[in-house]
Amino acid sequence: MEQNPYLPITMKLIKNMCETEDKLINTFTLEFLNKQDEENFKYMPGQFAELSAYGHGEAPFGIATSPTEPGIIKFSVAKVGCVSNALHLMEEGTMVGVRGPMGNYYPMEEFKGKNLVIIGGGFAFTTLRSMAVYMLDEKHRADYGDITVIYGARNPGLLLYKEELAEWETNPNINLVTTIDRPAEGWTKHVGFIPTITEQVAPSSVNTYAVVCGPPAMIKYTLPVLEKLGFPPERIYTSLEMRMKCGLGICGRCNIGPKYVCKDGPVFSMAQLKELPSEY
Amino acid sequence: MKISKEKFGQSFDALTAEYQVVAPVSEAGAVNFKAAKSFSEVKQDYLNSKLPPKSLLFPQHEKLLSYVKDGKDITVKNELKVGKTVLFGIRPCDAKAMLLLDKVFKNDQYRDPYYFDRRDNTVIVGLACNKIAPTCFCSSMGISPACSEGSDLLLIDLGDSYNVEVITEKGKDLLAGLGELAELSAEEQAIVDTVKSAQTTSKVDVSTITAKLDKMFDNSYWDTLHEKCLGCNACSFSCPTCHCFDISEEVTKNEGSRVRTWDACMAPLFTLHGSGHNPRDKKKTRWRQRMMHKFNYFVHNNGDIACVGCGRCIKGCPVNMDIRQAIDGVNKAEVVVD
Amino acid sequence: MNSIIDDIRAAARQLLADGKVDVVIGYEKGSLPLKSTPCFLRSPQDADKLIWDETCENNLATYAATTAGKKAIIAKGCDSRALMVLLQENQLVRDDLYIIGVSCPGVIDKNKIEAETGEIIEATITDGKVSVKGILCDKEYNFTDVKDAYCQTCRYPNPVLVDLKIGGTVEAPQSDFSDVLALENNSAEERKAYFKEQMSKCIRCYACRNACPMCYCQECFVDCNAPKWLTGGVDTAENLLFQTGRALHLAGRCVECGACSRACPQGVDIRALSRKVNKDVKEMYNHESGISEDIKPALNVYSADDPEEFLVKE
Repeated sequence: MEQNPYLPITMKLIKNMCETEDKLINTFTLEFLNKQDEENFKYMPGQFAELSAYGHGEAPFGIATSPTEPGIIKFSVAKVGCVSNALHLMEEGTMVGVRGPMGNYYPMEEFKGKNLVIIGGGFAFTTLRSMAVYMLDEKHRADYGDITVIYGARNPGLLLYKEELAEWETNPNINLVTTIDRPAEGWTKHVGFIPTITEQVAPSSVNTYAVVCGPPAMIKYTLPVLEKLGFPPERIYTSLEMRMKCGLGICGRCNIGPKYVCKDGPVFSMAQLKELPSEY
Repeated sequence: MKISKEKFGQSFDALTAEYQVVAPVSEAGAVNFKAAKSFSEVKQDYLNSKLPPKSLLFPQHEKLLSYVKDGKDITVKNELKVGKTVLFGIRPCDAKAMLLLDKVFKNDQYRDPYYFDRRDNTVIVGLACNKIAPTCFCSSMGISPACSEGSDLLLIDLGDSYNVEVITEKGKDLLAGLGELAELSAEEQAIVDTVKSAQTTSKVDVSTITAKLDKMFDNSYWDTLHEKCLGCNACSFSCPTCHCFDISEEVTKNEGSRVRTWDACMAPLFTLHGSGHNPRDKKKTRWRQRMMHKFNYFVHNNGDIACVGCGRCIKGCPVNMDIRQAIDGVNKAEVVVD
Repeated sequence: MNSIIDDIRAAARQLLADGKVDVVIGYEKGSLPLKSTPCFLRSPQDADKLIWDETCENNLATYAATTAGKKAIIAKGCDSRALMVLLQENQLVRDDLYIIGVSCPGVIDKNKIEAETGEIIEATITDGKVSVKGILCDKEYNFTDVKDAYCQTCRYPNPVLVDLKIGGTVEAPQSDFSDVLALENNSAEERKAYFKEQMSKCIRCYACRNACPMCYCQECFVDCNAPKWLTGGVDTAENLLFQTGRALHLAGRCVECGACSRACPQGVDIRALSRKVNKDVKEMYNHESGISEDIKPALNVYSADDPEEFLVKE
């Protein structure tokens, strides 16, 4: 309680890599400067951190790494404003600030013994990567049932984490389905929007949880499909975005009804969202 | 027991050596809470300050941290500064508002040290209200013109002395150094009794408003409530319980600081995402948020309505948006039950 | 003033009953003494809510562009000028407006009264006298003594653009810029001290900006963060940058309605800046905003005989 939650720790940007062919999304790898910082930063898939580009500002981003990947954390960021632009242009070796981990996380305890279908669209895949890598880790894999990932983007160049996707294609512990909106040369996998593909390939809803992340339109059309397939609202989870500043539930900006997305979220079940006003 | 204003004034002046003493001071035509060096600077016979005293614990512009860049390296400095403070002359409505702000700046997970380190080092000397304005409605909000909630010491103005009541240990400690106390005369006791039993004359009924608002998110009442609102920040900035803020950077070459500044949910860009999506892009939704937050969400989260009836928003609004009328409007609104 | 309000109500009633307008934007009685409040009437029977007196201080033109449908607006002299400027700047469509113009003797400066009487408990205005019962004291004023400062130098009390004119005309006071000259004649040190004091009061609530009909930018310069012109700080330097920036953005456009000054909850002397800018515009361009449909905003127009030579190719 004596800590100052507004004070970031300093981390080093060790890799600044462009993820997508339209150059809009980069993935940043940050390194902990010392063991103590890493000890204090115990996080779970679904959480986010406030990233400071000193001189430009601070903004919240979902953590893309899993806690099973030691020494580093990664963020995938779209270039939309002051902070994201500054990060995109940042040279490797630059020191940045990080406040976190913040928010709640995917209910990994509740998922134990269940099957998972993880549905992501576009660059909303960041925390889903964290969750998938966490579950695939040999320490945890046996805790979970079948894992299906349905990941789509407008075109192949816009898919994130191509290295991980390539690995998952041949990994027997995970069933990966990738899709793009329209046919593209050289693409032999699925073609179609996420809601349509989900209906085609989703596993049985029996004993299964669904986690959906993506642009509002994608979520809007995917949810009815999941409900049709028999997923009840308590077993559909999502991670919401909101404009945030403090990340602590104090500055009052990110509320949906009485809940603050930074502190009571960003992970919510559809059952919880049904209780809240639809103002997001 | 009472203390003469003369003795109190001497102690007040002595306190300024050890504490920052903040009191209502008349400056540029208005009464506001500012640091005072002497009791003679304190405005007597005032109703309430123009701006709420929340700026003592939660300044309008505050440096959170500062930094110096050196190539790729960075040195960061915590700018939290705390000193001992006495806040004198705060009215019961504003003292209660501090208790409400306490619930915001310390929640189930985090504690804001900028607010709370200051708070823990502040003694609040409340001053009950001898006069009641037509825009005051604190009695309808669960307090009263002589309520002691939130004060460490509560004073009542008796003319040439103050009636003193100890409310907390902190207050007791401060009182010990203030001077000799004397018994009240019969007339003075009568003044105390009158002030303590006073009620505000303007009334609203908030007994069922939270439950009503639970059912009103999509109600048509919000369609017209907001029309004359200009969407400025006058109400939020003059409200003792409003707490929203922005965090931004102020930079000159290699040096900079991260600051927090007051913000308001009434501002159109308050909830604007980087993507361009804005969940509250209409004035209607922002007025709904104001009412829902104060009279519903805050109650669900903290058990109290986030309004103390001080009336500043009513007096300050350029177009006479009156929160009392809004409360009435909610109470009277038709709810369609499905 | 009685027959004027009867005529206003009758006009509003008729317009709504005939479906000629969707909404009438006017003034109704406020919840505080000596305060009116804007109202948006959509049924003929609501027309009786309308009032017309010296408390009608808001500039209703500020609602014109953001209210849907065809609207009737009660307009004083300054308000009609504001509507004219908005039309010239293509912010409004003439056919969507039905301007009910009323000549105005000026509005009350409530702050001036409350500085003496404390918060007003009760007040009446009869025959040019304002009787006030306040928390600190009771007092009676001549209306002319507590008239808003802008109204005291108003040159256009009669509406310049109307669809319906109600009531008679009001004589414009002979006015000049002596108030600005008085300030200009102060030494630089005196002026610096004065503005420093005024700017220390500003809390950047933007009530002035939002009350002004001519401040309609989708993104105001204060909200822009790339480039970032202003921080959120409220020191006197930042506040002065905001206030002077806004005053300059209004050069050639401000109609001196006073809505900004009256909107300010802190009593900042915004008028000192706007009057100075208007004086400069009058002297340099011989321009007063919104007085005639043929005269476009001064800083939006180029002409070959512009006295500034830098644009003229030799």
